[in-house]
Amino acid sequence: MLKSAQELGKVSCHICAQVSSIEKHVCGRCHSDLHSRKTNSVQRCIALLFASVIAYIPANVWPIMVITQLGVTEGSTILGGVAIFWQMKAYPIATVIFIASVLIPGLKIIALIWLCALAKGLVKMSPKSANKIYWLTELVGRWSMVDVFVVAILVALIQMGNLMSIEPGPAAVSFILMVVLTMLAAHSFDPRIIWDRVRITSSS
Amino acid sequence: MNFLHRQTWPRLRDEGHEVACHFCDSLHEVELIEEGQSASCNTCNTLLYRNRPQSLERAVAFGLSGALFFIGMLALPFITLDAQGSATTVSMVETVVRLWLQGGRTIAITVLAFIFVLPLTILFSLLYICIPLSRGKTLPGVQLVGYLFQVIQPWIMVEVFFLGTMVSLLKLMKLADVSMGFGFWSMIALMLSLAASVSGIDRIELWDRIEVALARKDQEDAAVEGGVEC
Repeated sequence: MLKSAQELGKVSCHICAQVSSIEKHVCGRCHSDLHSRKTNSVQRCIALLFASVIAYIPANVWPIMVITQLGVTEGSTILGGVAIFWQMKAYPIATVIFIASVLIPGLKIIALIWLCALAKGLVKMSPKSANKIYWLTELVGRWSMVDVFVVAILVALIQMGNLMSIEPGPAAVSFILMVVLTMLAAHSFDPRIIWDRVRITSSS
Repeated sequence: MNFLHRQTWPRLRDEGHEVACHFCDSLHEVELIEEGQSASCNTCNTLLYRNRPQSLERAVAFGLSGALFFIGMLALPFITLDAQGSATTVSMVETVVRLWLQGGRTIAITVLAFIFVLPLTILFSLLYICIPLSRGKTLPGVQLVGYLFQVIQPWIMVEVFFLGTMVSLLKLMKLADVSMGFGFWSMIALMLSLAASVSGIDRIELWDRIEVALARKDQEDAAVEGGVEC
């Protein structure tokens, strides 16, 4: 295992990637602030995850859109929408929505909690597998927003007076919040602290 | 060595360039690699940097085409919905306006931010940096624009919106006749242009080039000042 920049008294800029001495606080090349590790990364990540769990529940329980058809108004939750597509035998689309809106955010929250526990030394896992998990959580995060965009298009298009109209439901706001919060949580986590722990244990 | 040097990008110094893996912080010497090649971390195998062929040309060309398709996406008809003889055609701008009027203000702002403002900012910042760089120059505030370019990247959601459009199409198809306009095709082209332009140039190469251009400007400024004093 190679020595880390921190062990060698150096810090890498998160904007322009230039390596400077660890005593410097501002990057000489792009003038960004230098941090050897993201500030309070585990603490921030857990706090943001906590907030996103709070948003996750109403996002899935409340209706994400309200459909008025021939004077009858009914709410449609995300899982309800998945069930309708499944009954219509539109299996691929039901799967896409279920994975993007329910599975990904849920798994992402669990994965980040696991990584935080790993960074604190509470659980054990090979750091390379941890890298893969972190890489995946960063990669898939944005795709949860897909249902919000579906609602956006449906609300904008289906305005046919009494015949049929769609309005956004209360879950839309909590859903947007949940996606943004989980993305912020993933960004605030620093995978390098997992490797710091591995370096300490392997050297002692 | 001269042959290899021709295929790499200009750097301020020939030696002493280091890079730390952003996953495991292992420190490496930046070695010159040929066009099309990439370098990975020796400890955890994460990609460290690549040498993209014709990087500046690609970033500028796809950036400009992206800007063109961006305008197309906003202004041209996006979707036409034909239900019982009454047809509705909306562009992306109209979609957001209708959304806002219909009470979906938070969703309207979300679309506005992730589909309009951030992609436009990333295209603008890329062109602001790369067009002058292809002549070895930089414009004022290049560091701030470069910072924006780096920070905004994870928040671009045009391809997610594209998937959302496909899903809503399937929902709409049972209600009415749906047809896609040029705005929709522009969005697909924008999605591809964005991906090609942003990944067209490696971060290390971009900043090495900016550093060289800034140093050259300082040198020229110093020469001009010196000339006046004489």
